[in-house]
Amino acid sequence: MPSYELAMVLRQMSRPELVSVLKRTAESILDKGCIIRNLENLGTRALPHKISEHGVVHREGSYFTITFDSAPTKISDFMEEFGRDIDIVRRRIFKIEEPEEFQCTLHEEMLPPAYRKDVQEMIDIAKRKQKPKFKYNSGLDYYPFQK
Amino acid sequence: MLRIIGTVVRSAASSTRSIVTPFSSTTLVQRNISAPVQSDEPIDIPNPYEKERRECILCKHNIVPNYKNIKLLSQFQSPYTGRIYGRHITGLCKQKQEQVEKAIIRAQNCALMPTYHKDMDFFQDPRLFDPEKPVRPHKY
Ligand SMILES: [Zn+2]
Repeated sequence: MPSYELAMVLRQMSRPELVSVLKRTAESILDKGCIIRNLENLGTRALPHKISEHGVVHREGSYFTITFDSAPTKISDFMEEFGRDIDIVRRRIFKIEEPEEFQCTLHEEMLPPAYRKDVQEMIDIAKRKQKPKFKYNSGLDYYPFQK
Repeated sequence: MLRIIGTVVRSAASSTRSIVTPFSSTTLVQRNISAPVQSDEPIDIPNPYEKERRECILCKHNIVPNYKNIKLLSQFQSPYTGRIYGRHITGLCKQKQEQVEKAIIRAQNCALMPTYHKDMDFFQDPRLFDPEKPVRPHKY
């Protein structure tokens, strides 16, 4: 089962209400046979902009993330279920992926254009796209007759 | 070019004792057959003028941008319009810039970061780059 992260914004509530909402969401995840790995509280603060959700305008919210392992087919069900919850202002689910290892390419990118690989490829493509020109095979680099 | 000639000359000079060499017909080698190995002939060394390898600021400190780290991400945002600065201003490599952009859009999606301005809490943060002086020139 791949790992997912649920990031959600809950509406402004008292502490016991907040606990009950979190319990509700966690239980709905567990009921589908998923495993909860982590629950994180990112704090309560003013939203960066007002958000209108379920017919109410929200200006403050509590941020939480839940990391869980689940089957990929159940993600859309979660999104639908949490979308119906009035206390959840916003919910997003992201897949947790290991960052790819790579070498910094800044040095190659800062080279003059003629030395850059992507520029050389572009020049090659332009050369390939040029129309074939008729060759006179006269051995001269100019046309000897009047055109 | 000078270095290539130097290596050719030396290899030819070492093989003068043998009777026939493939290079013996060229005038360049013929002139050097009589001359002994001199101290001032070109030597094989790596390019002394080669520039030091540069790394972008996130690769140098080995930072992977995360969408929850909004204090870091807001440094790549314009305080006036909330727009993500381009690679020519931030001075990041291609992959890191892509990761930063993806993380910022994710954070904006989760209502962690504003889209049309920079968070007021992060206005006093130190600047990683100067938007007035882009690393690379651009068309605007
Ligand atoms: Zn880099």
